[in-house]
Amino acid sequence: MLPCVKKVASIIWDAFTGYMPRSVQPGCGADVAIVLYERSGAALYGVSADQFAAILHVILCKYCEANPNSAHASAEQQADFCARLHLEELVLARACAAGNERAWQDFISRYRHKLHRMALHITRDGAHAAELADSLFADLYGVNARDGVRSSKLVFYTGRGSLEGWLRTVMAQEFINRYRKQKHTVSLEEQTEDGVQFAAAVLEPARASDQRLEAATDEALAELSPEDRFTLASYYLDGRTLAEIARMLGLHESSVSRRLDRLSAGLRKRILAGLRTRGMSHAQAAEALEIDVRDIQLNLRSRLAQDSSRKTFPEGKVPAQDTGEGSTN
Amino acid sequence: MTEVPKIVYDRLRAARLRRALPGGTAPEPAHPDADLLTAFAEQALSAAERDDVLEHLARCEDCREAITLALPAEDVGAAPTATDSEAARVTSSRAGVPAPHGLIFAWPHLRWAALATAVVVVAAVLLVRPGKLNQAKLPSVNPQIATNLPPTPGPQGASPPLPSPMAAAPTGQPAADRADGARSKSELRLSKKLKAGQAAPSFQAESRMLLAENEIADNKNESKDADKVSAAPSAGTRVLDYNAPAIPRVNETVEVTAASPAVETEASSVNVQMARNSTPAIAKAKPAPQTETSQQQNVISANVVELPLQARNMASMAKLAAPSGAARTRAFTWSITAGVLQRSLDGSKSWQDALRADHPLLCYAAHDEDVWTGGQAGTLFHSVDGGITWVRVQPSMKDQQLTSDVTHISVSRIDGHGPSEVVVSTTNNEVWSSADGGTTWDRK
Repeated sequence: MLPCVKKVASIIWDAFTGYMPRSVQPGCGADVAIVLYERSGAALYGVSADQFAAILHVILCKYCEANPNSAHASAEQQADFCARLHLEELVLARACAAGNERAWQDFISRYRHKLHRMALHITRDGAHAAELADSLFADLYGVNARDGVRSSKLVFYTGRGSLEGWLRTVMAQEFINRYRKQKHTVSLEEQTEDGVQFAAAVLEPARASDQRLEAATDEALAELSPEDRFTLASYYLDGRTLAEIARMLGLHESSVSRRLDRLSAGLRKRILAGLRTRGMSHAQAAEALEIDVRDIQLNLRSRLAQDSSRKTFPEGKVPAQDTGEGSTN
Repeated sequence: MTEVPKIVYDRLRAARLRRALPGGTAPEPAHPDADLLTAFAEQALSAAERDDVLEHLARCEDCREAITLALPAEDVGAAPTATDSEAARVTSSRAGVPAPHGLIFAWPHLRWAALATAVVVVAAVLLVRPGKLNQAKLPSVNPQIATNLPPTPGPQGASPPLPSPMAAAPTGQPAADRADGARSKSELRLSKKLKAGQAAPSFQAESRMLLAENEIADNKNESKDADKVSAAPSAGTRVLDYNAPAIPRVNETVEVTAASPAVETEASSVNVQMARNSTPAIAKAKPAPQTETSQQQNVISANVVELPLQARNMASMAKLAAPSGAARTRAFTWSITAGVLQRSLDGSKSWQDALRADHPLLCYAAHDEDVWTGGQAGTLFHSVDGGITWVRVQPSMKDQQLTSDVTHISVSRIDGHGPSEVVVSTTNNEVWSSADGGTTWDRK
């Protein structure tokens, strides 16, 4: 069966790179996808081989659009790509989206409890968790019918990661969107009363320090790899723990710790070097770098405090704020 | 954790704004979709895609938050109480300082401390025990050699005795007591204790190790100066043929030590010093042999029950330390085709099957000649010699084992030496990591 996977995937890829959607045409693509089709267990949910081939075709298209370089990749690499997809979960999701009852039953039995647990993990609040999980369930089922056809969110799952992980991500995005909506409804006075959280990010760069310092810092940051910049931003801007960053990057906690130490030392050195090439003396450069680091610590603390108190924040502040503003006006 | 200059915070933030503001028409950059973010968090993206996502994440706070929120709870199957405690931990760490210094005595840290202690203890036992056993046998061997080996110089007889306390043991002493008397007090105590209690029962175990050592030494004979080889055994065998297990021990110890350039020996103290040094001498001699080292180690680990971990680590250390190893690093290209790991030595022109497991392989990671590959049903293999020999690795922790499909492996070596750090991700979001080249594992 295994050599067939290679063969099948390469044929699918040939069909795709030639921009001939043969795999979509009945009778032509059926034998192509048959092995991957068997492996995915698609027949259980009434997904035909042609439909399955069409799904794979679309996913490969999307992958190729996002990665222009991969158009020149070998057939083996594309076969590898196909084999890495979570085919079984992909089929389940697509069958649910297509309205297959058995698939939906399976989905519910597998993920219902998990969804509620995820929601609780994300919101850390029972009431919000139930609300979030229910609304996601509605989206997944496709309550919002367009032209009589349910549009389920599960259509967007492509099997690159696990279905459970995808559900968690979708739920987290939904949660953040809601939170952002709530933020938008908060009045300006509350923002100023609450302090830095919304205005700070915008205002902060406005009070720019020395142009040379900025340029040197930008240069030093640009030399870092994206992963290093991500690590810096997560740790220093978002206040993530080492453990969280390690899990996001698939590293060990101590590696992240070592990396942060190396980065902060390296950045300091590079910025100083950049400042000196811009005409500062060593002492000036060192002084420019040391401008009140504690400011940012305070700022970070207030951001973090706001982060953890966001659940109660809209309701709690409103009455006090209104009365206060009313009296001054 | 060292602090970065304030300006770095500013510019990291500004990086996000610059992207949002100048565009004007599109204030929000296009976010990666949930699929990509999930695949990123599960380490399932190709390097190029991963860099793209990271580039975005470095600028986009929302996506960073989404990924963090979407991280699976650390104990997936746990009861709600565990979820609550996890939530409390996260909340408290967010409300406080960013670094989790307050948690230094928390269980995850203690767990690593306990693991490190265990490794040190095991290593100490493995290294020290053979030395003790040698001492236990010395009194029975020494006098016989001493009496039958009159002042005639040994293999390297011309060299003067070393000024070490052990070298003070006189060759010509007829009695064990007198040899003991010349040693330090601690050695005396140790030796007496061993004589009293441990010498007899430990002899069997020791003989198994002797077999292993004989193999090493036999292999070394081929690559050594002929005169040294012939001199040492002839002296020993002529004298001690009635004490069969001990004879090869003394002989081989001399040979192994002689093969190691780091250790200087002389005949007058051979009986005491050589036997005592046997284990470190083997360890030091490891870098000397050329390509056969790893195969020898495999043979040894099959024979000697106590040594498999040590042997494997030593094999990889020897691989790293061998001066010849650096010269012959070849440029491998790896690929997985239809569940089989393939290797190309000529820049992808021709391929050969490197490993075909009973389950399809799905992913691999290579760092020079240190290669890992994983596949369905917890299949995980490791090679330290560029795929010539493979060792099946079964990560386990307590009663948990890696059984699900391995989807991604990353291997890195901090500072370019020492054992590699391996991280293995699976379909059900388990992340297994090992900081010591696969000897011990931790599951996240």
